[in-house]
Amino acid sequence: MIDLGLILQDALWSALAATGFALLFNVPVRTVIGCAFLGAVGHALRTTLMQLGMSVEAGTLAGATVVGFIGVVFAHRWNTPPTVYTISGAIPMVPGSLAFRAMLGVLRLTATTSDTAAVMMAEVFINATKTGLILAAIAVGIAAPSLLFVRQKPIV
Amino acid sequence: MNLNDVRRQFTLGTDNPNIGPKPPLDRDSLRDVIDLSLWAGQLLLQYGAESARIEHTIHRFGTALGCDWMDILVSPNVIAVTTISGEEFRTKIRRVPSLGVNLTIISAINRLTGRIQRGELDRAGVRSELDRISKIKSHYNRWLVVVMVGLACSSFSRLFGADMAVFAVTFFASSSAMLVRQELHRMHFNQFLIVTATAFIAGVIASTATLFHLSPQPQLALASSVLMLVPGVPLINSVEDLITGHMVTGVVRGIVAGLISLSIALGLLLAMGLTGVSGL
Repeated sequence: MIDLGLILQDALWSALAATGFALLFNVPVRTVIGCAFLGAVGHALRTTLMQLGMSVEAGTLAGATVVGFIGVVFAHRWNTPPTVYTISGAIPMVPGSLAFRAMLGVLRLTATTSDTAAVMMAEVFINATKTGLILAAIAVGIAAPSLLFVRQKPIV
Repeated sequence: MNLNDVRRQFTLGTDNPNIGPKPPLDRDSLRDVIDLSLWAGQLLLQYGAESARIEHTIHRFGTALGCDWMDILVSPNVIAVTTISGEEFRTKIRRVPSLGVNLTIISAINRLTGRIQRGELDRAGVRSELDRISKIKSHYNRWLVVVMVGLACSSFSRLFGADMAVFAVTFFASSSAMLVRQELHRMHFNQFLIVTATAFIAGVIASTATLFHLSPQPQLALASSVLMLVPGVPLINSVEDLITGHMVTGVVRGIVAGLISLSIALGLLLAMGLTGVSGL
């Protein structure tokens, strides 16, 4: 049911993607390997869960939560804010192509007639909603450690 | 417990055993404190930190440098701070343009905050450290970044299930586009214009996969070659801000990210119009 070779390939390509973006974001040199590792773990976990029949949104939430927690551990170990690890680690899961597919659909609406427009509108809406949900899953996942364990009573 | 007790407890924190009233600062010292903490906040907002981190950092800076309390307003391109010490207070606002993402600077500010809280630095020391941090440039050679960003985008094409031909085309398309992006950035063009132009270049080069029938799924090259433009950090920060209750910055970051995605789509549409390649 789970193809291990496929998961390993997935991890390799996600690690490369995370590294590229980590360099683009100018992360501290000592954190690059950790960023690559988190990119691989998050995306490979999501792919595994999706192969087991989970939806992409739920898989993203699980992947991002794991990235969030490991990110906190790495952050303590290498003395950086967790953001450095969690942002780079979450990048392979960001629904980039869904986001601009939605926008492309919006732009193409101008070239349609009213009978095909309804189908395109539905497509735009589906892509936009999926983008939003996956993004929310990423943000909630990487914020999970602070949401669960660093709670503070409001001051004043 | 009255308000001042609450404030004192929060500002000095539980890790400091010497809890007691702080000596009030005079107006000149307050000016120094507000200047330094605002500078730290400005660097964070410029280089892509989320709003909660900006607020916490400014607060920790100010209170560790001797203030009783800081009131902070983080808005999308302005930070306003009031420092309070005893009966005295000062307020300052600063306009903050966004300058892309630099996680080394955010990490450095984070470490500096810790050092100030442990009492390792006085105000002059903090000033020279902030001066050093604000001059940090990229660690990575621009050609290394070009190659790695190219590899990142072509890795995305593999994640979408593309073959090696599409991998190669995506690599060339996105690394050339990255070079163009760096050059346009150096010439200070408008950010949306840069994104549209870069997506156009990537789209035109990636279309060759379709034009020369290099692969059964050539459209994947088109979809992956522009992924380095996707505003990942604004998108994630936007949702994080909304979750933590920083609604204004959250909404604005979301709109900026939406406009950048629109610019990518526009650039791709222009490229597809020019080359006659359709479908994504």
